[in-house]
Amino acid sequence: MIRNALAETALTLAIVFVVVALVLVPLAMTQADPVGVVTTFLFGPFKSIRHIGNIIELATPSMFCGLAVALILRAGMFNLGVEGAFFLGGLGTVAAALILPLPGPWLAPAALLAGAVIGSSVCVVPGVLRARYGASELVSSLMLNFAALFIGLYVLNVWLRDPAAGAMVSFKIPADARLPRLIEGTRIHIGVLLALAACGLGALYLFRTAGGFESRIAGANPSFAAHLGLDVARIGLRAQILGGLIAAFGGGIEMLGLYQRFSWQALPGNGWTGVTVAILARDHPALVIPAALFLGWLQVGGDLVARNFDIPNEAVGLMQALLLVTVTAAALTRNPRLLRAFGARSPGAAR
Amino acid sequence: MIRFEHVSKTYPNGTVALSDVGFSVAAGTIHAICGENGAGKSTLMKILSGLELPSAGSISINGEPVRPDSPRAAAALGIGMVHQHFSLIGSLTVTENILLGQEPRRGPFVDRAKARARVLDLAARYSLDVDPDAKLATLSVAAQQKVEILKALSRDTRILILDEPTAVLSPPETEELFRRLVALRESGLTILFISHKLKEVRALAQQVTTLRAGRVSGDAPMSAISDDEIARLVMGEAGTSAIVRPEPQSAEARITVRGLTLRARDANDRLDAIDLAIRPGEILGIAGVDGSGQRGLVKVLTGACQPDAGMIAWDGKSVAGANTGALRRRGLAHLPADRFRDGGSRRLTLTENALAGAHRNYRFGPLLKPRAMIETTRGIIDRFAVRCPGPLAPLGALSGGNAQKIIAAREFGSNPRFLIVDQPTRGIDVAAANFIQDQIVALARSGCAVLLLSADLDELLRLSTRIVVLYAGRIVASLPNDPELTPARLGPFMLGLEVAA
Repeated sequence: MIRNALAETALTLAIVFVVVALVLVPLAMTQADPVGVVTTFLFGPFKSIRHIGNIIELATPSMFCGLAVALILRAGMFNLGVEGAFFLGGLGTVAAALILPLPGPWLAPAALLAGAVIGSSVCVVPGVLRARYGASELVSSLMLNFAALFIGLYVLNVWLRDPAAGAMVSFKIPADARLPRLIEGTRIHIGVLLALAACGLGALYLFRTAGGFESRIAGANPSFAAHLGLDVARIGLRAQILGGLIAAFGGGIEMLGLYQRFSWQALPGNGWTGVTVAILARDHPALVIPAALFLGWLQVGGDLVARNFDIPNEAVGLMQALLLVTVTAAALTRNPRLLRAFGARSPGAAR
Repeated sequence: MIRFEHVSKTYPNGTVALSDVGFSVAAGTIHAICGENGAGKSTLMKILSGLELPSAGSISINGEPVRPDSPRAAAALGIGMVHQHFSLIGSLTVTENILLGQEPRRGPFVDRAKARARVLDLAARYSLDVDPDAKLATLSVAAQQKVEILKALSRDTRILILDEPTAVLSPPETEELFRRLVALRESGLTILFISHKLKEVRALAQQVTTLRAGRVSGDAPMSAISDDEIARLVMGEAGTSAIVRPEPQSAEARITVRGLTLRARDANDRLDAIDLAIRPGEILGIAGVDGSGQRGLVKVLTGACQPDAGMIAWDGKSVAGANTGALRRRGLAHLPADRFRDGGSRRLTLTENALAGAHRNYRFGPLLKPRAMIETTRGIIDRFAVRCPGPLAPLGALSGGNAQKIIAAREFGSNPRFLIVDQPTRGIDVAAANFIQDQIVALARSGCAVLLLSADLDELLRLSTRIVVLYAGRIVASLPNDPELTPARLGPFMLGLEVAA
């Protein structure tokens, strides 16, 4: 099993290098220092502790959202509400941190819990509509994101807004509620450990518990689940609730870890990234971790190139998009011949 | 006309499906290919129809070497295939299915009138009547098969391949199909016919080729070979099982059904005042032409849907409103007719497929015990002689018959009190079929009440204690299975020509 996973990783890396060579090299040739462009993109993110920190802090919310989407996809559901859940989870957490009269050490956990419950509603409502009435969760969750956004902004404007601040932002998050930093010189906070733990627990749940197994059965073949007497609607709803809680919790972590005030004026996009991460990770909670780090690396490398060279941000975006397409293309990454070339054994033959 | 020479196929995972296969098929004949599951019949036909490429060897048609690398290329060579699992789309109409990919066009649009006319013309030419406007999903399996055959014939086909065509048909439908096939042969078509059933091969074919473990084990004109010889060539040993009719072990019915009625649009589901009683230790056989209400009966008895009227009782107590989960907890097991749609998942591993449902017995605190699950699965693999790479292989890596064994093992292993088996031996080889039938009988002997639905009358007559015949959702006959009961006696009931309560 491990051997095959490694072969897939190696193949994916090879694809990354081919794409970088195809897009970045011609672009770099237009510059005075073509080698510098390529090395900055590829290795720049690892050159300073601050940039490594950037990768990890970008990867933290992606892990939460990716895990949420992976658990939902595995149960055969779909939900774009993770975006709204992440947003509302952040707002709910900040609101709770501002309002709850709790002593220092209790404030952050209580606020995160409150935020997770509030934020998960964006996933739970479409889940219930699906389980009860068979409404397409794709449409309802997509639409509900905007409801969540504008309700959130209303709450921010009316109840949480600090009149002393110039913009529409909340009061300052109490220092007691902020998450401790882990490494000097970076903004890496304790949330990354929670994200790693969440992914580990997610894998354990999915592959080693009865509930996770049932959810995989329902996701793999709903008729089979029904034949076994499993309640497919309930399993789907359970996955939606779980995914919503995780995504919203991720939003809260993001706020308490990196922000001084709640300042999002639009959907932050981490939920969409989560969908990408889950697809990259092939819905495997443990693989969510490298997938999120990979996306973080792409982002930081792209930023560095755009900042230091005369290459527009759009070109970097183009390359990131192309990388995502090729890395997720099953025709490439599932190709048995390519996989064997990278050392995989035939399916099932390992045992 | 068709000549296979030294054809071999080795799959990327190392499975040798065919080795050094060589024989030829004469033009204008029906040529049967017999073999066990996994003997390589389907692989050979996939190679001929362009779905797979041979690893070695060559095929020639009329002396010209050919190498079809796609179904389209095979179609251009005049080869059409009717798959055992139909390659049709339920939400499209008959016309759309038959002409999929070759629709007549007018400008950028599909010319519907012309398409319809072409299908009617095709149907008339081969006298296979179908309703060109019906939605495929509303048709019975036999009608869907006609559509599949027409689809295979729609491109100037000279060679027609049929993979286990009778597996899904009732006896009258089978006879109907055979008449059509003979007519097709007389019109000049060459037909390759894959079957497990010797009787059918005998009735239809002029020449038979037997495959065993990927090699040709025999090739002879039908007139020069006996059934026993074919069976020996296929299985390596002669084997027929004796008739068994387990006796009920109690006068009290375990399952009682009274006035069961299900109103549905689809004739497959429609039930009209069904009364049944199944005692422990008894195998109640259900006979009937496909689409006589069997599907509805299974749905209601398994809790997949609730009846419009009537009641079901277990041990005299009504189970109204119970869903599948509740019935399974009472001791229901169900081997569904469509094993792959309802009975398992190709993506999950053998272990997961074999123990789904029973998995809650393998818990340690909140966690499952993977080692114990794998060990149990190894036991099943040994006991059921499942040919597979190992307990962690995905179900999709197994041949159809071996995958079906895993699914059957799961249902039989749940220690059921009421077992519903729907077409238990459809599409599996003789040895595996005998094994599965033995398992069903053993369960009945241990006191399980068994409901057996089968399109194979021999199977019904061999296993059942009593046989009930369904016609148009009603019970038209309920007969003790004594030696006087024969397929000929059941036929008129199945066709609704006779009624005996």
